[in-house]
Amino acid sequence: MAGVWIFAENHTQGLELLNTGRILADKTGSRLLSFLWHDHQVAEDYLACGADEVLLLPPLEESQPLEAYIPVIVDELREGDADIFLLAATLRGKDLAARIASRLDTGLCSDCISLKLDEDNTRLEMERLVFGGAGIQKVFCSSRPQMATIPPGTFEAAVPANSRREGKIRELPSSPATAVKILEKKAKERKSANIKEARRVVCVGRGIEKEEDLAMVREFAQVLGAEIACTRPVSEEMRWLPEDLCIGLSGIEIKPDLYIGLGISGQVQHVIGIRDSKIICAVNSDENAPIFDVADYGIVGDLYDVLPRLHEELGKLL
Amino acid sequence: MPEILCCFKWLIDESYIRASSSGELDLETVDYKLSNYDRNAIEESVRLQEEYGGTVSAITVGLPDSTKGVKDALSRGPEKAYFINDDSFENLEPSQTAAILADIISSQINYDLIICGEGSSDLYAQQVGPRLAEKLGIPCISYIQKVQIEGDRIVAEKKVEDGIEVISAPMPVLLTVLPDINTPRIPGLKDTLGASKKPVINISKDDLTVSYEAKIHTNAIIAASMERNCQKFGSETEDIANLARALAKEGVIK
Ligand SMILES: Cc1cc2nc3c(=O)[nH]c(=O)nc-3n(C[C@H](O)[C@H](O)[C@H](O)COP(=O)(O)OP(=O)(O)OC[C@H]3O[C@@H](n4cnc5c(N)ncnc54)[C@H](O)[C@@H]3O)c2cc1C
Ligand SMILES: Nc1ncnc2c1ncn2[C@@H]1O[C@H](COP(=O)(O)O)[C@@H](O)[C@H]1O
Repeated sequence: MAGVWIFAENHTQGLELLNTGRILADKTGSRLLSFLWHDHQVAEDYLACGADEVLLLPPLEESQPLEAYIPVIVDELREGDADIFLLAATLRGKDLAARIASRLDTGLCSDCISLKLDEDNTRLEMERLVFGGAGIQKVFCSSRPQMATIPPGTFEAAVPANSRREGKIRELPSSPATAVKILEKKAKERKSANIKEARRVVCVGRGIEKEEDLAMVREFAQVLGAEIACTRPVSEEMRWLPEDLCIGLSGIEIKPDLYIGLGISGQVQHVIGIRDSKIICAVNSDENAPIFDVADYGIVGDLYDVLPRLHEELGKLL
Repeated sequence: MPEILCCFKWLIDESYIRASSSGELDLETVDYKLSNYDRNAIEESVRLQEEYGGTVSAITVGLPDSTKGVKDALSRGPEKAYFINDDSFENLEPSQTAAILADIISSQINYDLIICGEGSSDLYAQQVGPRLAEKLGIPCISYIQKVQIEGDRIVAEKKVEDGIEVISAPMPVLLTVLPDINTPRIPGLKDTLGASKKPVINISKDDLTVSYEAKIHTNAIIAASMERNCQKFGSETEDIANLARALAKEGVIK
């Protein structure tokens, strides 16, 4: 009884995978099964949104990491003879996926951005980015289950069916103790909500000399009605802005009407996150900076010199 | 005192990659480099050694002509390197790399701690570390921003979507490190010269005891294209005013 299984860290991601999973299950004439661990209340939702069966993972103790579920999930996939297993590509999801794939001795397509079944409806043809985003790798998996992690937001979320859908809810056994313990959880405020929807984004790179200078960029962004974002070094190395605002391969993808990059070299790992912007504009003092090859409009100049005047000129038009 | 092993990959520098006219990637004129985040993995290994003592070795799976990469890795501090190489080790997929590493590590190398980069600069699959840990049957803490050794345990700060988890696990442990965990040192001339004198243990395909067929197969790699206007302006006030007008004309400023 082969089928399609999914695992996501939260409800929205769950719905996205249900949508894709449902299409695959219909095409392959098999069932769609979803693991659920975070919020057992939504099991009925999952059935309404396409799952044939919801598999409830018992709550973990405070000190138990998510990986405690690995043996239970692996057993379930083995017994069910899973054909396809999709996971949301969150940090924990990616780690879990690699380890489950290893235990099942199967292949895994990481950060899959597109997938479809081949003509016989048996093999998943998947795409992912390589070389920092310079290339799109087309792959398939020759072993079973065919596994992929899918970045949140890649697919539309499923909506509940109009008519009542029948489905099963089943409880899975609890997880054995792990040698790995969580000692403490430090929560952080999430900031990325607006940036994905933002119509204008002002993005800062390492061309900004010091943290205080962000104030001038903030002012500029405010006049423009733009959200502020950054490159990975600015969030991860300088820690001037939260990681949620990092755009690119390991950050998020945005698609604003207008993107203005200040002091950004334009390396492929960053650029991949802005390729769907309508207009890309860049200020960089190095006329050979690669950002100019992917920008619609570029200003070659020192951002400290350009920004006040750009501020003024754009201000006149707003 | 911990015996530390860091995993590194020598790979194509993506900034040299151009799209050919047919839309394929042109890999003819490329240069090679040490995978970016493996520099952080090596640096963290060396930092831990400076703090807690012990040893640091580096290990890689690659083509025989990756010797430059082995030297590069050694110039960053490890005292010796394991170089598993064969002409067929081109385009290995993560399950293969992990299987090969696990085979050699479990049969030939003592370790308390294995450190990998978060992901390789070419594939960025983020799989080799967790898969290797599974194959070795040891705990894995991935995406870490901070680590310390407390007795026979590792305590690490792991990044997750909603914050940080402080994780403790008994050694041996495998870690995958995020780039913000440290700033890798830049090797000087002395380090580079010193690296040539360090021992390199060459391991060939014949030394492997496991099979490692590919599970993920690549049909093609095409160039991700981005067609843009590419109009450049100077920084005179006149230029900036022109740019502002152009943006207004595009309808993105109003
Ligand atoms: C696996 C992997 C994943 C990655 N993921 C991401 C990601 O998701 N997002 C991301 O952003 N990066 C990512 N990176 C890093 C990426 O490769 C680049 O290192 C990074 O994007 C560079 O950031 P930057 O442009 O801010 O800095 P730099 O490359 O240092 O560029 C700074 C630019 O500022 C210009 N400049 C300096 N001073 C001035 C001035 N006064 N006025 C105007 N211009 C000035 C310089 O000419 C230069 O071009 C990743 C890397 C790897 C290997
Ligand atoms: N060929 C290799 N040899 C040694 N270590 C590797 C190799 N490939 C990947 N790794 C390690 O595994 C990490 C993740 O790689 P990847 O799964 O390809 O993203 C890298 O940062 C390295 O530390």
